[in-house]
Amino acid sequence: MSATPGGRLRLALFLGGVGLHRLAAYRLDFLLGSGAFLIRVGLQTVAVGVVFRHVPAVAGWSYHQVLFLLGCALLTRGLDHLFTDQLWELSRKLIQRGEFYRYLIRPVDPLFALLSERFFHPDGIGELAVGAFLVVWSGTALGLDPGPLQWALVPLLILAGALIHASVKLFFASLSFWTVTSMPALQTATQLSEFAGYPLDLYHASLRTLLTWVLPFAFTAYAPAVYLLHGDTGLLRWLPAVTGLSLLAALALWRRGLSRYEMTGS
Amino acid sequence: MIVAEGLTKDFRIAERRPGLVGSLATLLSREHRTVRAVDGISFALPAGSKTAYIGANGAGKSTTIKMLTGIMTPTAGRCLVDGIEPYRDRRRNARAIGVVFGQRSQLWWDLSVPDSFQILRRVYDIPDTVYARNLALYRELLDIDALGTTPVRQLSLGQRMRAEIAASLLHDPKVVFWDEPTIGLDMVLKEAVRTLVNRAHAELGTTVLLTSHDLSDIAAICDDALVVDGGRVVHQGTLHDLLRRADRRSVVFEHRGGPGPDAVVRAIGAGLPGATASVTPEGRVRVDYPADALTSRQVLGFLLDRFELADCYAPEPDLETVLRQIYRGGVPAARDGGAA
Repeated sequence: MSATPGGRLRLALFLGGVGLHRLAAYRLDFLLGSGAFLIRVGLQTVAVGVVFRHVPAVAGWSYHQVLFLLGCALLTRGLDHLFTDQLWELSRKLIQRGEFYRYLIRPVDPLFALLSERFFHPDGIGELAVGAFLVVWSGTALGLDPGPLQWALVPLLILAGALIHASVKLFFASLSFWTVTSMPALQTATQLSEFAGYPLDLYHASLRTLLTWVLPFAFTAYAPAVYLLHGDTGLLRWLPAVTGLSLLAALALWRRGLSRYEMTGS
Repeated sequence: MIVAEGLTKDFRIAERRPGLVGSLATLLSREHRTVRAVDGISFALPAGSKTAYIGANGAGKSTTIKMLTGIMTPTAGRCLVDGIEPYRDRRRNARAIGVVFGQRSQLWWDLSVPDSFQILRRVYDIPDTVYARNLALYRELLDIDALGTTPVRQLSLGQRMRAEIAASLLHDPKVVFWDEPTIGLDMVLKEAVRTLVNRAHAELGTTVLLTSHDLSDIAAICDDALVVDGGRVVHQGTLHDLLRRADRRSVVFEHRGGPGPDAVVRAIGAGLPGATASVTPEGRVRVDYPADALTSRQVLGFLLDRFELADCYAPEPDLETVLRQIYRGGVPAARDGGAA
């Protein structure tokens, strides 16, 4: 049953329900996490506001356009966060403590089994909510009027962005199969992804290249935002290929890691 | 049911040098040393067998089990469990097997035991009748309800092990791999665990492969023994055959009339070179002798000649003695006609 797509979906929903149920046990942790997150996004918004109090535009971006971009970044990151947070545990301790084996002895795809332990992570819900608010609010302020094609594309753009985030995370977390822990590498990659929340035009060309073609975070917010704001499809044309290649590279490394997994200890 | 053909596993271990300077040097140069944990093991265990997997620490037991359960991929050779190569077809293999690693939990750390079982029920598509039957069994034997809704991370080792054991059998697996399944369990619970697996074996024909430091687990569960040493199989056969490999035999007897027990002990020491005699707490005399120096005929003949025996028996060599001998290195080949 769990081999069929329907069965897997039911299993995913059940595990997600279990995940939410688990929140009850960590209610304080959840409240602190959400509180800290809201303060962080609030400060980010204020900081952007302070900058724009002094200058009308930065690198050609207005206040509301920057917030729109930030909203896009939060949407894709939130969707990814909702499903792949357990990858942090993989990079941090699952290999090191010899606990990873438990995903290999169940009749479920190991990646699914791993991720399912933290489905519906609440931080992801917060990011999605705040991201949606920022996009709608700044979009209204800018008087954006998306056509039917753009409306149809929005879910796909968010999905592709989330997949890119997930791929980078999976890639760096999978390094732990070789290095036992890969937390510092994953942290560095995540910190770089923060740059995706601001206009790429602000950065030096080398950082722009890095964020576009090496760790393609530009496609998680900048490319879709530029398209939705200005109809500019220059970068967006590459989105399907970049998403596909990122996913392939990450899954290939994950598979190689699985086949060389050495369960430590007795 | 379980087949290994030239199964080999090498580990690459980064050479580390001691000290601060050493660890800096290790960071820069990557020297590796290859350690062969399992060295071309071959064996075949039939369906429905209950086998103890025996070997000293570092003999490659756990590594073999990790390959048989699909957790690790062999460096060379292959293994088959119910016709499946476990590491190539993990999901299909996983349906057929139940696993316990006593040292490493496989349960959901943040969840209670009932929640974990609900997940397993869905993951394995366990039919309602099977689930109800097994749960009733665990209630009766493992007192599983007493674990309540406490998250697994807050359970004691003994409580957690009860849940691990139950989780490994919940889906009626064809093959059970248990690596140290009774650590942290008291006598009553150990007994319950043995009953559970023996019941599964009797009713469903479950194949069992067990490692345990507790030799009474082995004696209570297993009929067969697979002994590895230095990554190689040194014995495969029944547990009984293994016991007959012991290099020491003993006879315990009671006698009527004649000299007292202490005098008997002295007489045996003088008359049977190589044998040692002692008085048991019950006032009987126990004679221990090396199987390669004396035959049971010589020993019994001597005793029958000198003393009027009232009762006499030859206890089977205990597993611990045999294993100590194996772990020290060198298992003599099985001898014929050793038992009196």
